[in-house]
Amino acid sequence: MEKQRVLVVDDDREIVNAIAINLRNEGYEVIKAYDGLQALDIISTQNIQLIILDVMMPKLDGLSATLKIREEKNIPIIILSAKSEDTDKILGLSMGADDYVTKPFNTMELMARVKSQLRRYLRLGDVNVTNKANLLQSGGLCFDLENHTLTVDGEPVRLTATETKIVELLMRFPGRIFPAEEIYQRVWEEPAYKVENTVMVHIRRIREKIEINPKEPKYLKVVWGIGYKIEKI
Amino acid sequence: MDTKLKKSKPFTAWLCFFLAVSIMIGLLITVFAGLGYSGGNWEVLKAPFTDYKNSTAFKQRTADYYGRLFSLVADPSTYDAGYIETTKRFLDNEGENLKYYAVNKNNNFLVQNITPKPSSLSDSGKTPALPAGYSYCWYFDGEKLRVIDHGEPIDIQRRDSSYQGIFHGYKYNITPIYLSNIQVMLAVKDNLVENPYAHSKYYGDQQFLSIIGWIYTGLLVLGLLLLVFAIINRPSKREFDRKLASWMGQMWMEVKLVFSLLVLMFFGGVAYSYYPGWDDPVLVDILLNATLTSCMIIACFWWFYLILIDLIVHGKGFFTHNAINSLLTGYKKYEKRYPWQKLMLKRAYMLVAAEAVLAIISVIFVLTALGSGGSALLLAFLIAGAGIYLIYRYLKRYEETISDLGNLMDHIELIKNGDMGTKLEVAEDADIYPAVQNLNYIQEGMGIAVAEKMKSERMKIDLITNVSHDLKTPLTSIISYVDLLNKEDGLPEHVNDYIKILAQKSEHLKNLIQDLFDLSKASSNNLPLDMETIDLARLAKQALADMEEPIAASGLTFRINIPDEPIYIISDGKKLYRVLENLIMNTLKYSLSGSRVFVDLTVDSKEVLATIKNTANYEMTFDEDEILQRFVRGDKSRSSEGSGLGLSIAQTFTEVCGGKFSVKIDGDLFKVELRFETGSES
Repeated sequence: MEKQRVLVVDDDREIVNAIAINLRNEGYEVIKAYDGLQALDIISTQNIQLIILDVMMPKLDGLSATLKIREEKNIPIIILSAKSEDTDKILGLSMGADDYVTKPFNTMELMARVKSQLRRYLRLGDVNVTNKANLLQSGGLCFDLENHTLTVDGEPVRLTATETKIVELLMRFPGRIFPAEEIYQRVWEEPAYKVENTVMVHIRRIREKIEINPKEPKYLKVVWGIGYKIEKI
Repeated sequence: MDTKLKKSKPFTAWLCFFLAVSIMIGLLITVFAGLGYSGGNWEVLKAPFTDYKNSTAFKQRTADYYGRLFSLVADPSTYDAGYIETTKRFLDNEGENLKYYAVNKNNNFLVQNITPKPSSLSDSGKTPALPAGYSYCWYFDGEKLRVIDHGEPIDIQRRDSSYQGIFHGYKYNITPIYLSNIQVMLAVKDNLVENPYAHSKYYGDQQFLSIIGWIYTGLLVLGLLLLVFAIINRPSKREFDRKLASWMGQMWMEVKLVFSLLVLMFFGGVAYSYYPGWDDPVLVDILLNATLTSCMIIACFWWFYLILIDLIVHGKGFFTHNAINSLLTGYKKYEKRYPWQKLMLKRAYMLVAAEAVLAIISVIFVLTALGSGGSALLLAFLIAGAGIYLIYRYLKRYEETISDLGNLMDHIELIKNGDMGTKLEVAEDADIYPAVQNLNYIQEGMGIAVAEKMKSERMKIDLITNVSHDLKTPLTSIISYVDLLNKEDGLPEHVNDYIKILAQKSEHLKNLIQDLFDLSKASSNNLPLDMETIDLARLAKQALADMEEPIAASGLTFRINIPDEPIYIISDGKKLYRVLENLIMNTLKYSLSGSRVFVDLTVDSKEVLATIKNTANYEMTFDEDEILQRFVRGDKSRSSEGSGLGLSIAQTFTEVCGGKFSVKIDGDLFKVELRFETGSES
């Protein structure tokens, strides 16, 4: 298979280099750019599969660049920013970015996100074909009701029977918040009594399997003081 | 009048108005006086512009002569020789202008200046033959009076003859038989001439009337012109009106009222006394009298004009500028020398004293009135009225002060609640004005101080935000390259140890920066909140479940006492989780190994109380306040683990989420309490 090309854009050359080294180690081809305009040039002339984009850059900032790129291309964009507020993340994602990583980042995590985005981007066609009624989907999460299997960005995840039941329940109603008692009653099918811990343990395990960073979950979230839910994406 | 005033346009305009109106009123009075004098005969107004012989004045003058002559002959026995002589001389003053002949055949008394006796005069009922140059005559033939002009008899009983009313007052109690022997004849010369030997009243009247008409006409024209000028310069005139009003305004209302009353009384007296005498109805006298009266009436008019403009310009002020108010103003100035408490008491005492004095005076007047009656009673009423007015003023003032005090209290409440913007407004002469002013200054000062503090706080926050942001960029490179180093193979063992330390410390730095950032955001109230009804019991259970692994690894025993039923509060769940997480991590770090940690959650109708108690693994040499301010004050026992901001963040987050955070230290017992208002499920 041909090497996948990743464009890394940041005005800090050292950061670009460090990311480039890591990406090359993972087997990707890396193209570097140091401001937004340069990035747009490269995108229009070369075949790029993924972009890692800093926000605060000279000439053209990352968010404006994202908007420009989205006018023509559907390439995955991971935004890299020192701004760590929820509002900043929401703004970045709503501009058309696919993922948002805050600085300072964990190299492993960034690599995992790159992989996940590329997988989704390159297999997007397959997902569309198999988009059937017996398939529950939320972002990169995909649950097959026939086989009771879960895939994250196309990668199958191995779940225990209880975990599968919990995921199925939550994915049937994406966005809905389930209190621990309800999850227990519907999954274990017996009356609930002091079950917070039991349910929480399972939720944590599922998160470890499906989330890139379980501390900042993308899909399976705890709504503090209320319950648990799978985000509707 | 000073020259400055004379030159000013307003004064000129007003002077024109003054003269115009005065002239008009004068003319009007003259007209009315003339009408009144002539018994409502409008002809009198035409007199100056018609032939003197047709004028009422001429007829009245003739009637006067006729009357004197008639009464002279009708009853000569009652008169002495001197009187006869005086009357004859009076008639002879006219010289050639008047020819007369009067006879009483009963006693053969005769007066005449015609010689010889006119022919046909003996035959009653006939027109007397007059000397040449005389064609107007009055003739009494013993039966009735005829007036003959150029041989034509005039019906003097007709209204339009203008003789009606001229003869009233000449009714004599004389029998007709006696009267039938009396003949009186009076003839006036056609062309009146001046008598070189005496003053001819006919001639004088004629001369006077011929010019008085022009004088009146001239005055009328002048008056109209001045009026037009004044109307054109209305604004200037009004300006002067206002000046006059302001002069008038300086006078007390009582003075003005008394003066007006006097003016009215005087006016009434003048109007009553003005009645021209019948003895000598001389035009000049009438005019003189009329002019004097006019001047007085005009003066009255202008006085009331001044009162009127004063009223219009000052409105209510006309009445409020009175002696009582001036006294009160003076008293207010006087009482300002005293401190507030004394001032208020003194005012009440003064009122009582003044009321007592007024009551006594009033009673004295009433008693006087019982004896003499009338005006003393009126004065008593006036003084009683003044007393009531004083009480009214006092009560009004009292009410104002009470209302101001109420506003002051509200305002203090407002300031307490943090409103530094709105100012309290009270009238400048209010009793508590100085206090209000001072309060406003204090408020202003506080507002400035608070704003300054907010500004510096903001700057501090901005600084921290920017710095933590700028720190992240180099830190990113450090972490990335340490990570790369970590992946290098074949490095000596000690270098790998160094790299591990680098990785640990850079991770610590990362957490520190993030904590710093969160704390600065929260304490500047810049943290976006998502307040909703949450179940604190569930949240605590979730948090404990979430941290089950580190709790289990710590070897500590957790005694958890959380009710099964929901405990609803209104808060931000995510932030509150962070609080619990920080507190539990804290206990894991600083608890004596093998000891117990107590987590309790209790609720009553008002308050939800969450407590976490643990036994410290070191001696706590700081007090409750110090531990929360560690970040600010520099720390005695800052550990290398964590940021040291955990408790500060927990406290700040609790407070922004609507709770209260407190720490209690008792020996080795470390206790954190979180309090929230009890909410209800919604």
